[in-house]
This record gives sequence, structure tokens and C-alpha cells, in this order.
Amino acid sequence: MMKVNTLIQPNPDMAVPKITARNVHVSYGDSVAIKDVSVGISANTVTAFIGPSGCGKSTFLRCLNRMNDTIETCRVSGEILIEGEDIYHRSVDPVQLRAKVGMVFQKPNPFPKSIFDNVAYGPKIHGLARNKADLDNIVENALRKAALWDEVKDRLNKTGTGLSGGQQQRLCIARAIATSPEVLLMDEPCSALDPIATAQIEELINDLRENYCVVIVTHSMQQAARISQKTAFFHLGSLVEYGDTDQVFTAPSDPRTESYITGRIG
Amino acid sequence: MTSPTKSLFVQDERVKRRNAAEKRFHSYGLCAIGVAALALVVLLASVLANGASAFRQTYLMLEIPLPAETLDKGGDRDPAAMASVSTFGYAPLLRDALVASIAKLNIETTLSNKDVGDMISKEAAASLRNQVLANPDLVGGVIALDVLANGRIDGFFKGRVTMESAERDGNTSPEALRVAQLLADVGVLVTRFNWQFLTAPDASDQRPEAAGLGVAILGSLYMMLVVLVLALPIGVAAAIYLEEFAPKNRVSDLIEVNISNLAAVPSIVYGILGLAIFINFLGLRQSSPLVGGLVLTLMTLPTIIIATRAALKAVPPSIRDAALGLGATKMQSVFHHVLPLAAPGILTGTIIGLAQALGETAPLLLIGMVAFVRDYPAAYSETAGLFGEAATALPVQVFNWTQRADPGFVERASGAIITLLVFLAVMNTVAVLLRRRFERRW
Repeated sequence: MMKVNTLIQPNPDMAVPKITARNVHVSYGDSVAIKDVSVGISANTVTAFIGPSGCGKSTFLRCLNRMNDTIETCRVSGEILIEGEDIYHRSVDPVQLRAKVGMVFQKPNPFPKSIFDNVAYGPKIHGLARNKADLDNIVENALRKAALWDEVKDRLNKTGTGLSGGQQQRLCIARAIATSPEVLLMDEPCSALDPIATAQIEELINDLRENYCVVIVTHSMQQAARISQKTAFFHLGSLVEYGDTDQVFTAPSDPRTESYITGRIG
Repeated sequence: MTSPTKSLFVQDERVKRRNAAEKRFHSYGLCAIGVAALALVVLLASVLANGASAFRQTYLMLEIPLPAETLDKGGDRDPAAMASVSTFGYAPLLRDALVASIAKLNIETTLSNKDVGDMISKEAAASLRNQVLANPDLVGGVIALDVLANGRIDGFFKGRVTMESAERDGNTSPEALRVAQLLADVGVLVTRFNWQFLTAPDASDQRPEAAGLGVAILGSLYMMLVVLVLALPIGVAAAIYLEEFAPKNRVSDLIEVNISNLAAVPSIVYGILGLAIFINFLGLRQSSPLVGGLVLTLMTLPTIIIATRAALKAVPPSIRDAALGLGATKMQSVFHHVLPLAAPGILTGTIIGLAQALGETAPLLLIGMVAFVRDYPAAYSETAGLFGEAATALPVQVFNWTQRADPGFVERASGAIITLLVFLAVMNTVAVLLRRRFERRW
């Protein structure tokens, strides 16, 4: 077994990574999903997790905001630090954590409520708005950042599930950024979308990089190459390779990575 | 075997057999639906044919003199003193009024005065007495009153009693029926909608014409209130806890299995339970809608819990993820998102449970709701508390009436079934409307 490459490429701009994982193991009951993953993820960067199905990339992503807590048999060991704080520490409330680490899911999942209520829900439960005007502002800003405002500003009271797939996914992104998170996790956000909607979302992700630390799981290597600055390749629960996207795709250091990106495995 | 050269226009043996099997299955399905529909039609037709007449009743329009010398011997119109005159004092007044009416109309008859009096319901004297006691100033004057005709006369106009059957009947005679027909021809005897059937209390064995569903409807209504107020919140809360919060382990598995088992427990067992716990141990009043409601609550709970859990399960997990991913607490995700989406299913389950409870008879027999109750139960009374006064229930009233000897009660029982079915139909309609109101499009 080869030694897992845990080398973190030092970024001259970002000396301290936003998220640091050390020796993370995840298991569901008896089956091990993640083995000894250590990684540092920088702020203002799009980091892509790639790898074949069942390699544990989504599992690892869901560890970053403790969504795995909802699965009863799931056990996580090791350390995951966000800005130096261990998110699996006893005194960390996952509810607070998730306000800081937003998530967008594979299938667009807007609430069957109005577009406005969808976006306003997060700010409402976290008490981010002092009054109605404030809330209107937050909603408008979030929708603008998600590049959806112009399309929906005249029908904010219409139900969010009536939008097209791409619009729904952008609504979910707007909903996630409305709580002003610092990290945005995206679990294959384009896998249910057509190429045009995908292009819109990719463009949006690129814009979001300015303000957020974006971590995206994707099945499409082209997508990873297009939008990410860093790429992590997972295989059979291990982090095989992690580095600058250009380097991972052009000169992978691990033969397994090469096999995967050239289409021989996965 | 299909060979590549075979034309598509020709069906081979295998395809023919498959198509035939499909056609056969199609016809089985149609037969099954036909049988079910036929059974329903026959049931409804027989109930309607028997029971529709319960909603019409025959009345005699009489002008009754109320002589002060017999009704108020003291002469001071004191209701307390006048109460000493029993219904036996009033019955002759009614009889004489009808005799006078017959004489005035020049109807020749061989009936004795007593036989004429028997054409009037025995209940009529009681209702006349009640009216007089409620308004003593009537005494001394003449009161125009529509009084119930005897059950046999009533039956004659509904086709239940014929001249031939009257021949052999000790309670009436062909001559009485002939006179009744003549009275009907001149409009003294009329048949009209029977509000009393829905408002009056039960009546004794000899007076089917006076029996009504008032107490039963009120009792059923009170019980449904108790069931709704108790079973809905308890059931929904239990289901939410079990489905969303409870850890999945041996204990919760055991609870789950037992709830399913409870749903299958024969309802009479709940009656025994109610008798032992609510009446014997807690000392609540027997025959009261409170105890009935509690027993039916126990019976309905499993239905509501199972339906609610199914409705919660049907809410896509992506909605929970979305809420949790935004930093909602477990409870917020359930109450803000999951529960509203499950509401239509919960509602349907609740209505099914209520409908089941509304039609339940067996457990109510055990807690004494089969009693003969003449007084309307109060919703609250000082002595009996909330819903504590004796009442009966619609299905129990049906059971009760079908056991009585007088054929007049057959019609009443069918009429009560119609009323029960109307209640159920109304409840189901409300459920459908609420469902539509709550349903969200995806």
C-alpha cells in the first residue's frame, strides 16, 4: 500500500488553511468509508473532490458540516478543524456549525414554499434580520449573488418548486449563502442539470470564490478542471492525491490518479 | 419461436397466449369491481328502501280543549300543582278531540272511543302535558296541536301495515285504517318530514313512532370531540417522536411492533379495558361520552400513529437535509418543513380513525352506552363533569333498535344507519377538502 500523499501545497496568499483535516476515519457500522484522510483546504478557493463512485468523497464532504450526524451508524474519528476549532469537539453545536458551513445538495431541494420564504428561512431561524426591510435586503443580496435575482424578482411569492432545475439549484445556493456562511459545500450540484444550467452554476461558483471557501464534489473531471484551483482525488476511501488542479490533471504523481483521469479506472 | 423472417403482422402462439392472459386478468379485475359495486348498491338500496320512511312521520292535526277543571284543580295555574295530573289525565283529552274531529267530518265508524284513542301515539299525551306545564296559561283554552299518530297508523301510510295484517293485529284494525285513510283524504292526518327523528330521544318499545336519534347524535358528537382532542395530539406526537427522534434500537422496535399489534386488537377488548380502568378503577360514570371517548381514543391511537408515521416517512429526506444543512435544529426541520408536508396524510389517517370510532359499537356496549336514555346529556354538569352524563351513540342505537320487537323499529334502525352514513360522508368530504387545502405541489 502506498503512502497516502498528504502533502499540502503551501499557497503563498493563504498561509493558514481554512479547513484542516487530520487522520479522519469514517465508518458506517462495520464498513469503513474514509481511511486516514488529512487535508488542508484554503479560503477563497474552489476545491474539487473527484473520484469514482463510492470512494468516500461525498462522505468526507458531509463530515465538514457534520451532516453525517443524522446517520445513526456513522462514526467519525480524527480531527477536522475550521479556523483552528475542532468541529467534532463536544461543545460544538452542529446547528451553529451548519450556519457557518452551508451546503448545496446533489438534487435541487427547495422547500415547497415561496421563493422568498426559501431564501429567508435561514436568516429567520438564525435571527439575522432585525426587521422586514432587513430581511428583504438579505434575500435580494443572496439572490443577486446566486445570479437568480433578475429571473425571479417579479415572482418572489411563487413557489420555489415551480422553477426549472437550474433555477432551483441556484435558489438552493442562494438559500445557502443567505445565512452568510464562510464555507460552501456542494455535493455534485450539477449532476441533475442540463449543460446550459451547468454552465450557469459553474460561472456562479467561480464568482462565489471571491467571498467563500467552496468545496465541491463532482463526477465530471472536466468540471473539476474548469472551476477548481485545487483538486483532491479519492479512491477506495483514501485520499490518493491532493494538489493544484493543473498539476493533478497534467502531471499526477500517483499512478492511480493517472489511471482515473485517463479513464482506465472509475 | 420467432424467426427473423416472420411478419410483424402475424402474432405467434406465445404472444397470443400472453395477450389472452392479459385480457383474462382485465376481465377478472372488472368482475371484482362489479361485485364490489353491486354489493354497495344492494346495501345502500336496502338501507334506503327500509330507512327513508323514518324521515317521514304521520301526524294528526287536532284542536284540543284544555279544561281547567281537570288539568288545574287549584285554579291558580301553579305548574307544581298541575304536575300532579299525569299523562293519564291528558290522554282522554286527545281521544275526545279526535272523536270530535271524526264526528265533525261526518265519518261513520264502528270504532269505540277507546279504539279511536288508540290511533293516537301514547307519546302524544306526554308531549301535550309537557307543553301545558311549560305554559300553564294554555289551560282553559283550546290548543291546535299536531300529535303523532300511532305506529300502526303511521305504518299503514308507509306500506308496512296492510288491511290484511291489521286483521290479525291486536293493536289496530282494518276499520281504524279505513278511518285514518278518510282523515288523510280531508287533511286532518298528514305525513311530513320528521325532524323529531333527528332531535327526539329514544322512546320505549311500544312507541316506535316517537323514537329519535337526538341523544345518540349528541353522544356520538361528544365522543368524537373527546377522541379528536385526545387522539390527534397524542397520536401525532407519538408518531413524530418514534419516526424522527427515537433512536433505532430494540426498545423502539418493540414499541413499533406493539403499536401495529394494538391496531389489530379486537375493539371489544378496548371495551373491557375501559370498563376495568375508566369505570371500575378511576370511577368515571358509565354510559358517559367521556368514558366512551376515552375508550375510542385508545382504539383510534394506533391508527393515527401508523398513518402519521407513514405520512412522515413519505416526506423526501432531501427536505430534512435542506433544513438541517441550513442550520435548523431537528425540531425546526420537523415542525417547519416535514410536518406541513405530512399534514394531508396525517389528516386522512385521523379521519379514517375517527370514522372507525364513529361506527364502533362493541366497546360501547361494555361501558353501558347501550342504556335507554331519555334525557339529553349536557356537555358539562356540576355533578357529572365534562361529558359525564349518560348518553348513547349512533351505532349502539342501531344495535338497540334492531333488537326491539315492534316492526316500526326496523324502519328506525335503517334510518339511523342512513344518518350514520351521512355523518361519515360529511367527515370524509371535510377530509378531502382539507387535504386539497393543505396539499402542496412539487
